[in-house]
Amino acid sequence: MRAVIAEDLALLRDGLTRLLRDNEIEVVDAVGDGDALVLAVLRERPDIAIVDIRMPPTFRDEGLRAALALRERVPETAILIISQYVEGTYARELLADGRGGVGYLLKDRVMDVDAFVEAVRRVADGGTALDPEVVAHFVGRKDRLADLTPRETEVLALMAEGRSNAGIAESLVLTVGAVEKHVASILQKLRLPPSQETHRRVLAVLAYLDSGP
Amino acid sequence: MTDNVAMIVRLRGTARAWVWAVLLFDLFVLVVWAASGGGSFWPIWVWLPTGLAVASAWWAGAAPTRFARQAGEAVLVSLFLIGIWAAAGGGSFWPVWPIAVLALGMGLQAVTRRAKSEERVEELTQSRAGAVEAAESQLRRIERDLHDGAQARLVALGMNLGLAEQQLGKDPEKAQAHLTEARAAAAAALQELRDLARGIHPPILADRGLEAAIGALATHSGVPVTVHVELSGRPPETVETAAYFVAAEGLANALKHAHASRIDIDVHEREDAIAVRVLDDGRGGAAESSGGLHGLRQRVEALDGSLRIASPDGGPTVIEAVLPCVR
Repeated sequence: MRAVIAEDLALLRDGLTRLLRDNEIEVVDAVGDGDALVLAVLRERPDIAIVDIRMPPTFRDEGLRAALALRERVPETAILIISQYVEGTYARELLADGRGGVGYLLKDRVMDVDAFVEAVRRVADGGTALDPEVVAHFVGRKDRLADLTPRETEVLALMAEGRSNAGIAESLVLTVGAVEKHVASILQKLRLPPSQETHRRVLAVLAYLDSGP
Repeated sequence: MTDNVAMIVRLRGTARAWVWAVLLFDLFVLVVWAASGGGSFWPIWVWLPTGLAVASAWWAGAAPTRFARQAGEAVLVSLFLIGIWAAAGGGSFWPVWPIAVLALGMGLQAVTRRAKSEERVEELTQSRAGAVEAAESQLRRIERDLHDGAQARLVALGMNLGLAEQQLGKDPEKAQAHLTEARAAAAAALQELRDLARGIHPPILADRGLEAAIGALATHSGVPVTVHVELSGRPPETVETAAYFVAAEGLANALKHAHASRIDIDVHEREDAIAVRVLDDGRGGAAESSGGLHGLRQRVEALDGSLRIASPDGGPTVIEAVLPCVR
């Protein structure tokens, strides 16, 4: 697997590079701002770009803007946003096109190296990874999800984090079969058109995020 | 009569005794007049000046503002003149002239007062906006420092711990290297948090006051700095903090931009104010557009103080702040 890193703080850029290399992910380029990221991705066409939100020259949402531009220009490159803060709005923007292959995690998550590497691989494979913090922002704002049972809302929250059915089953102490039933019920209640499973899961997550005011 | 009593009650101590004496004297004059068989009512010539004296003494204590006091005095003098005119048997109304002059004077006074107060309102509006802006930009700076500093170090620390954990079974030597780096990151994060805290409010300033805090700045500067602080006590906290940052910013400016080889910091008391002066022998050219000095001006003006920066090309540079301070 090939990755590009965009992070302006050298300390973290080098650390991340090493972490990924130690875990058999090839880092083909590591850059420090949004423009350099776009150039690197256009040149390298990596499987995934791991992008910090706040970078020079504006130190605002530079990285996110570059990432959104890349979603359109290089759809085959997955995007994993890492940041020291999470904003629900940014998560919605990332997921807006309804495709998988996006993630949004707090930088804190690199501390659990195995889970982080797993999230990188999942996003690169077209899945999603939303930080539990992002998901927590939306808990309790579920006017559009009123039809779901409490259990289904729980399952949906874990889907939003990007977990597989097996992962959800483990976390809620259910059988995989039971989770599959809940997921099917959620997708039906949200009236998501029958299509590829990943795509529908992303749409369900989006519905979840959109249910906020 | 009740008004008279009320006015007397408002006066205090010796002033009150004096008023009673005057009133008793007035009464005595009346008795003398009556005893001497009446006739032309001459006691009025005693009553008029003593009345004026008592009334203006009372008003001097009761007037809410200086302007009100002056206006009241003008009115009393006018009444006094009209009283003299009436007691002298009327005739041509000559008091109109002095009263006109008094009225003109008060009118002029009112106009300049209004202009002055408008100017002051403008000044306060500006310094308040400056204070808000200074606080805002300081908060933004602190957020940036946290984000790029301690927060990033802690992420690196966690990352190294995670890697060490992962390598522990497979490659102990590598795990050890990650742990060493983790410890260094923790030390660096602590250092950054300490520096940040000092930049917000140095602990030594709260503990020991200006002389010790500025002294500590000077010892870390690496250039000879003489510090002279002469204060009779500790100023109010806001003034003390502002004075400290004048010294700190002036010192930082001298070290960073002026390439000074000698710096003098002087803090002393003036009447109702504290003056802080930072003088260096560097090459001058300190520009207020540089964030630090601009922020400093906002900080000083927010306390109604004034900041003077004299820094001709070639030096020397003098930065002086005067901070009003009512104890």
